[in-house]
Amino acid sequence: MIITIARKEFSEIVRDGRFRWMAALMMLLLLTAMLSGWQRFSHYAAIQAAAQGSTNQQWLEQGDKNPHSAAHYGNYAFKPLRPLAFFDNGITSYAGTAVFMEAHKQNFAIARPASDSSAIARFGELNGAMILQLLLPLLIIFLGFTAFAGERESGTLRQLMSMGVSRGSLLWGKAAGIAAAVLVVVLPCLAVAAVALAATGLETAGGGIGTRIALVAAAYLAYAAAFLFLSLAVSAWAGSSRVALMVLVGFWAFTAFLMPKTAAEVSRLAVPSPAFGSFMADMKAHQQRGIDGVSPRVRLAEYRDELFRQYGVARIADLPVYWTAMSMQKLEELDHPVFEQHYNSVREQYAAQLRLQDRLGLLAPLLPLRSISMALSGTDLIEHNKFMADTEVFRRNMVVKMNSYLSKAAANLNAVNDATNYMIANEEVFAIVPPFRYEPPALGMVIASQAGNFARLAGWLVAAIVLALVAVRRMSLERN
Amino acid sequence: MLEAIELKKSYGSHEALKGLNLRVGAGDIYCLLGANGAGKTTTINLFLNFVTPTSGEARVNGIDANADPLQTKRYLAYIPEQVMLYGNLSGLENLEYFARLGGHDGYSADDYRGFLQRVGLQEDAAARRVKTYSKGMRQKVGVAIALAKQARALLLDEPTSGLDPKASNEFSELLLQLKGEGAAILMATHDLFRAKETGTRIGIMRSGRLVQELSTDEVSHADLERIYLEHMR
Repeated sequence: MIITIARKEFSEIVRDGRFRWMAALMMLLLLTAMLSGWQRFSHYAAIQAAAQGSTNQQWLEQGDKNPHSAAHYGNYAFKPLRPLAFFDNGITSYAGTAVFMEAHKQNFAIARPASDSSAIARFGELNGAMILQLLLPLLIIFLGFTAFAGERESGTLRQLMSMGVSRGSLLWGKAAGIAAAVLVVVLPCLAVAAVALAATGLETAGGGIGTRIALVAAAYLAYAAAFLFLSLAVSAWAGSSRVALMVLVGFWAFTAFLMPKTAAEVSRLAVPSPAFGSFMADMKAHQQRGIDGVSPRVRLAEYRDELFRQYGVARIADLPVYWTAMSMQKLEELDHPVFEQHYNSVREQYAAQLRLQDRLGLLAPLLPLRSISMALSGTDLIEHNKFMADTEVFRRNMVVKMNSYLSKAAANLNAVNDATNYMIANEEVFAIVPPFRYEPPALGMVIASQAGNFARLAGWLVAAIVLALVAVRRMSLERN
Repeated sequence: MLEAIELKKSYGSHEALKGLNLRVGAGDIYCLLGANGAGKTTTINLFLNFVTPTSGEARVNGIDANADPLQTKRYLAYIPEQVMLYGNLSGLENLEYFARLGGHDGYSADDYRGFLQRVGLQEDAAARRVKTYSKGMRQKVGVAIALAKQARALLLDEPTSGLDPKASNEFSELLLQLKGEGAAILMATHDLFRAKETGTRIGIMRSGRLVQELSTDEVSHADLERIYLEHMR
C-alpha cells in the first residue's frame, strides 16, 4: 500500500513541468557548487603545500646568522585543509589560514580570504553545504506543501479515503514518493562530488574519512527528512495549500536566514568577546607588568642569581652557559603563562558563544546541522584551535632549540661585548628545528563535540514525524 | 448490506440528521430524494466515516463504520457528483492506483482495460491524461474503480447531475448491471425521473428526517412527483 502510494506520488511529481525546472536548477547549482568547491580546494591545497615547502626551505636558507636572530626571522605555518572542506568550507574564509611564528610573540592567524573579497562574498561562497542547507529544504517544501492540502482542494482526498487507505500509510507513502523525487535530483550530484573527492586522493584524508562522510550524510538526511515531515504536517493541518506554502516558506526563512544571524548576535551580546586591538594591547601590557605583577626585569635578576648559585660563580663572565641566550629563553618562558591566559580566555569566550548558538538550535534545525557539517568537514573552530595550538607548540620548540643551542655554543662569549656578531649559525643548525607538521584533532573528539547537535537534529526529526502523524490523523477531508 | 440505525449527526446546534433508519439490501437501488441540506450527503458521509456520528450507527455488511472504518470501506465504493482523479495520470493509471489502494493488486493490464471497456470509455482515451477528460469520462472511470474494487455496496452522491442525457442513460445502465450482480446501491439524487426508472426503492428526506419510503413499482412517475412536492411544501 505504501509502495503503491509512493510510486504514484513519484510519477505525479516527475511529470510536473515545474518539478523539472526546479530539478534542473537545483542540479545545476549543486553541481556548480560541488565542482567550484572542489576546484577551490585543490587550488588551495596546491598553494598550501607549495607555500609550506618554500617557507621550510626559506628557514633553512635564511642565511648564516645568530640563532636567536633566526628565531626572530621566524617561520610560517599554512593550515592544510581536510578533504571535506571542498563541500563545506565553514569558517575557513574568516578564521585565517596562515600563522607567522616568531620569537617573543604568539600571533593570530592571517590570510583570511573573506577580507580580500567584495561585499558579495558576505553571502558566503558557493559550496555544496550551502546549497543543501538552504535550497534543499525549499525544494522539499515545494514538493510537499500540496501533498494533503492540494488533494483536499481538488477533491481527490475524499476519493482516496473512500478506498479504505489508512492515514498512516498515506503519510508514509507520500513521504517516500517525495523523498524518491528529491533523491533523484540530489544523488547524481553527490556521486559526481564523490568521484571528484576520490580524484583528489583520499590518502591525504587521514583516517576516518568514511566515518566522516557517513555522519555528514546522516545529518543532512535527518535535516531533509525533518523538513519533509514538517511540510507534510503543515499541508495536512493548513486550511489551504496557499496557507501551507506561506507557513512553510516563513519557517524556512526563519531557520535559514533569521536564526543564524540572530544566534550570532545574541551570543555576541551574551558573551562579549574583545576587539582585536584591545586584546593585543591588554596582552602586551600584561607581558610588561609580568603575569603575577612582578616585572620581567626583576624575574630576570632572580634567574641570574639562581644560575650563579647553581654554577657557584659570581659574575656573568664566569657562567658556563651563554647568559644572553639564557635570558632570552627566560623572557620567552615568562611570557608563556600570559599568552595562555589571554588566548585561553578569548577561546573560552568563543566556545561559550558557540555553546549558546548550539542551544538555540532547538529553535532552528539549520543551526545543529551547520555545526555538525563544519565539524566533520574539519572547517570549524575546534579544528582551527587545534591548528593554532600546534603552531604555538612549533613556535616554542623553535625558540627553545635556537636559544639552547646558542646558550651552549656561545658559552665562552659571556665576557665579549657585542658577542652576538661572533656566534653565527648555518643551515645545519637551523635544521635541528623540524618542519611544521599539523596533527588534526582526533575524530572521536570531533564527534563527541557534536553529540548535543546530533541529539538536537534527531529531536527535530522525531518532532516533525510526530507532528505529521498527529496532523494527518486530525486532517479534515473537506475544504473549510 | 447498508443499514442506518437511529443515525444522528449534529454540527453544533444544527441537527443535520435526526435519527435516520434505513436498509439497503443486495440488489437494491435505493434513491434518496430531498432538497439541498436535507441530510442526503451527510448520510453518505456517515457510511464512509468521513464524519463521525453524534449517535446511532451506520452499518456496512453488519459492521459499524465508525468502529472499523478500514474494514467497512473494503465493501464500499463511492462515486461523488464529480469523480476526482489525478490529472497528470492517465485513466488507466488512475484506475490501477485506486484499485491497488482498494486492496486489489492482482489485476493484469488487460483486466484494467476490460473494466474501462465495460464502462464505455474509448480505448484511446484510457491512455490519455485525465486532465483532458470530460465529466462523463471521469464518471465512467469512477464506475470502473467501483467495478475493480468489487464493491458490494455503492454510495452515489448525485452522480449524474450535469451529465448529458446520453451519458446519464449509460450511467443508469451500468447501475442496473451492478444491481443485477447483487450490489447494494444508495444514491442521493435530484432526478425524479431516473429515480423512478432505475431505483427499486425511494426515500424522501426533509430536514434530516426520512419522511416517506416507497417502492418504485408501486407509484407512477406523476404520483412520485406529486408526493415529493407535497413533502417539500
